[in-house]
Amino acid sequence: MGEKRAIEIAAEVVRAIEEHLPELSVGSVEEYVEAVLRERLLSEGFLSSYSPEEEKEVEQRLRDLGYLD
Amino acid sequence: MAVIGLDCADPNLLEELLGGLPTFRELIGGGTFSRLASVDPPITVPAWMCMFTGRDPGELGVYGFRNRADYSYGGLAVASSASFGVPAVWDELGRRGKRSILLGVPGTYPPRPVRGLMVAGPLTPNGGTNFTYPASLKHRIATWVGDYIPDVRGFRTQDKGWLIERVRGMTEQRFSLARRLLREERWDLFVMVEMGPDRIHHGLWAHHDPHHSKHDPKSPFRDAIRDYYRFLDGKLAELLSELPGGTQVLVVSDHGVQGMEGGIGINEWLIQEGYLVLRRYPERPVRLGELVEAGLVDWSRTVAWGEGGYYGRVFLNLAGREPQGIVPPERYEEIRAELAARLAAIPDEAGRPIGTRVLRPEGLYRKVRGIPPDLIVYFGDLGWRSIGTVGWRNVHLRENDTGPDEANHSHHGIFIAYPKLDDRPERSILEVHDLILSVMGDG
Repeated sequence: MGEKRAIEIAAEVVRAIEEHLPELSVGSVEEYVEAVLRERLLSEGFLSSYSPEEEKEVEQRLRDLGYLD
Repeated sequence: MAVIGLDCADPNLLEELLGGLPTFRELIGGGTFSRLASVDPPITVPAWMCMFTGRDPGELGVYGFRNRADYSYGGLAVASSASFGVPAVWDELGRRGKRSILLGVPGTYPPRPVRGLMVAGPLTPNGGTNFTYPASLKHRIATWVGDYIPDVRGFRTQDKGWLIERVRGMTEQRFSLARRLLREERWDLFVMVEMGPDRIHHGLWAHHDPHHSKHDPKSPFRDAIRDYYRFLDGKLAELLSELPGGTQVLVVSDHGVQGMEGGIGINEWLIQEGYLVLRRYPERPVRLGELVEAGLVDWSRTVAWGEGGYYGRVFLNLAGREPQGIVPPERYEEIRAELAARLAAIPDEAGRPIGTRVLRPEGLYRKVRGIPPDLIVYFGDLGWRSIGTVGWRNVHLRENDTGPDEANHSHHGIFIAYPKLDDRPERSILEVHDLILSVMGDG
């Protein structure tokens, strides 16, 4: 999430997002594009929902809560 | 339409406490009150997403908080929003131009784009992870309520006073955030889920329930659950006051609660009966996963192993499926039936039957996707938990393997609709999805 890189995308796509920011619930084109790409990559399995450290932390919490042992 | 989810809110408990709950009383008195039959297993994940997709766990391929990602022996992965590959009711409404506010729904981390806003559920990791859609919403949340609390941390404590304060703090914050979102955002569907009832039940049930084996009538915490529900009733009243007139309100839960007598060591039993073979029995209780990682399970002689939790899962070591499977496919049904019958017959320490139910996925679900357990086990019909750790040298454990826990889930949650919808005394959690669409004019 920290590092950002610039990419180029079609102007008509950018315009369509800009024209519908309120409907898309976002404040900027970048915010929307990142959210949509993130979802797509997660569903394809190309991004992980949790880092290994996060998954361990969540598993420990579930263990503490009694869901796992 | 506003859907207020209270994880683990139980119909019997609510009726017991109703005299001191004016808001619930008004909703029930002027509305519909039904028992809401949960899914199998009646567990937060997948139950809430079953409610909001109208799909059962088999159709979703999600059978618990963790699921087998592959047929390896250690391949369990925590369920996330990416695990639910079908649209939820808010996705369907979004396509029709309706905006939703979603707050704390289990199974929504990482958050996904929606027409509206999403604050992810209790599986949000600690720290500064992105937990909202849009991402910038988290900065506004920090301004409104400070550090957002997706779930109670440090639940496993003997300090009940501390736990009560933590749960109340979480509930207070979530309802405060909910009111803010309702006031400041445009919405057609509002959905929130509060985990507080579940956490207070698990932590303090014995103090409340005079029939619980650990109940102490002199406990200073004997009214903790009653007091929490009064507090919750007040929060609910504040929230309802923010809703426009004519809003259809649902107050629902994913499952109920019952006292927990103790635990059955599912892997201890499998070891004792020769179904699970270790190269070396541990000197202290450890998770089976640790033994798997250390190469201490002799898979060449293991027929089955189990997972613990509020319910049990049993996996057969099937030849051609598991890496070192030994159960011949032609004997799979025979061995599974034998295991099911023997698990169902495990008595308590005194040899008395406990009413265990053992279920087969293909008999429960409309479809079976992903990798289901071969058997789903409700020890004592969830009056006993399933303990997966080994090293206890005992099948029956009165103490939880991870610390104090006094309650387990039961099969029915609550369904309150205000204004009244009908007089049905019971309905299924899987009906809620279509009901929301119907009420919102898209049925």
